[in-house]
Amino acid sequence: MAEYVGIDLGTTLSGLAYLKPDGNPEIVPNSDGERLTPSVVFFEAHEDVKLVGSAARDGGEPDRTVFQIKRYMDDPEHLVEIDGKKWTPAEISALILSKLKRDCSKIIGEIKEVVITVPANFNELARKSTIAAAEMADLKVKRLVNEPTAAAVYYAHSQGVQGRILVYDLGGGTLDVTILNVEGDNIRILTSEGARHLGGSNFDEMLLEAYAEQYSKQTGAKLFTDERHRRRVLQTTEDAKKMLSKLQRVNDTVANDKNDGIARIDLTRESFEKLIRQMLTRTVMLVEQALDSAKLKTSEIDHVVLVGGSTRIPKVKTVLEKLFGKVPKSCGNVDECVALGAAIFAKRSARIQEVCNASYGTVAMVYNARTGEEKLMNSVVIPKNTPIPCSRTQIYQTSEDNERVIEVDITQGEDEDAKFVDVIGRITLEVPPNRPKGCEIAVTFSYDENQRVRALVVDKQSGRSREVAVSYKGAGVLSEDDLKRKSAHLRTMRIE
Amino acid sequence: MFKKILQSLSKSQTAKTEAPKQAAVTAPTKAAQATSGVLNQIAKPATTPDKPKTPEELCEITPKMSKDQIQAQLKLLYRRYNRSASSLDSKIRSEADQMLTAIVTVREKNFGEI
Repeated sequence: MAEYVGIDLGTTLSGLAYLKPDGNPEIVPNSDGERLTPSVVFFEAHEDVKLVGSAARDGGEPDRTVFQIKRYMDDPEHLVEIDGKKWTPAEISALILSKLKRDCSKIIGEIKEVVITVPANFNELARKSTIAAAEMADLKVKRLVNEPTAAAVYYAHSQGVQGRILVYDLGGGTLDVTILNVEGDNIRILTSEGARHLGGSNFDEMLLEAYAEQYSKQTGAKLFTDERHRRRVLQTTEDAKKMLSKLQRVNDTVANDKNDGIARIDLTRESFEKLIRQMLTRTVMLVEQALDSAKLKTSEIDHVVLVGGSTRIPKVKTVLEKLFGKVPKSCGNVDECVALGAAIFAKRSARIQEVCNASYGTVAMVYNARTGEEKLMNSVVIPKNTPIPCSRTQIYQTSEDNERVIEVDITQGEDEDAKFVDVIGRITLEVPPNRPKGCEIAVTFSYDENQRVRALVVDKQSGRSREVAVSYKGAGVLSEDDLKRKSAHLRTMRIE
Repeated sequence: MFKKILQSLSKSQTAKTEAPKQAAVTAPTKAAQATSGVLNQIAKPATTPDKPKTPEELCEITPKMSKDQIQAQLKLLYRRYNRSASSLDSKIRSEADQMLTAIVTVREKNFGEI
């Protein structure tokens, strides 16, 4: 049995690694002989089989193929309908995890418990959906760990470095920036910032638009009119993007599927860099945000580490080198280091101190007795970057006489202005009648190691209290019963 | 020193309708979804309905602002709209994307390209 296993459930690629007896992690290939498995699922029409991986990606039937399901893990209403059956993002992810588990256990033995990586800015629902996906795939989640943390763990392990490390993780779908401190065997995360919908697939889409424009100019026709052909051209643009990381110029030809002729595409690295320049500026702004959050200057970072396939783009390296005044380092294979780090994390999690990725609080009218100012604001109870697990309490007062129901919003976000944060839940607590305003209410937030939030509201006078874990409702959210039923069903499925 | 009075979002939304009109730049978040279309005020101001705002106007950057003030404003807006860009609401996401483009454009004009 493999004791320490890490899984990188990625937007475009997924991988599984285990810790060898010598303490070094290794990627376990799937049954197709690939070290990484494309996170794509194909629902075959003629046979009762779900294809996962390269075969699914290259299947060519977009209506029956699910790409990048990870982008929807936080959407409570997202469902994929195939042959009249509706699949939640967690179920689709469970198929990918099942493929990894089944294939890899043939090589390393039974896999029961795993560490799974998630983007640093994954919210509560996305984390819960990831755990549900693992349960359906018959995997017990030992811990969820943030992707950049896992990558940094691998980097520190493989390079033997100490000091402050900034991890720049630009993957297929998201960007994460994490700053951490390594002292001996101990790793302390200082902060993590993330940008969703910013990754390699955005660059592919930009190139796709450029190809379509060129095709239209040269032939007067549309490059694609259906999803199937659009997917094919998108794959071509991804290949061109990868070539431009090695070459200064790429010559390509494209055609539509209507025999409207062939267009010649002449693409230079310079023009590609110009195309994505503004997106890269956004990534720099996220790096600056992370530095501000950790109250650090660029000169106080000892190592800049690149993770994720999109960091192969040369411009990414030059931009970061200019910003930090030092050459960013890559931690081996940028696509594999997250899974490898997760396997190390599975054994060493006790030595790794993580932090709250966001601030949690409630909405309150705050009076400053000294200045007389009053302001309706997001009142933070647990500040971002508080080491976890943690629990914090704030005392508030009721706002009205004879208030019978106390409503406490649970906010997520750092902004003082309540308009700029997410309200992720609400607790209502019934209290006794005929009390004046100003009664004390204790609001406690707890944050666990898997970055899940609980809130407790206590009316101090009556002792009445209510505690909730942040929960979500929606067509795409599975109940406990659904989860059990679907887990049993999934285990009988043929997944290749 | 500080007294904190609990307010629920519904109460604060009620209070908002009675409060004076807010500044033009506000952010679309899940909390703001209830009042939806906040960014419409930015894209289509009531006074000049046909003229789209410049990136500087969207970011509330004035010619009198120092480089430090511009930088601070852009950082604040980036934090807010990067967050909104993760919204489940595609409209809010798209509007946040437009704001992020404006923020980057202003940054490039004032501090150069990367």
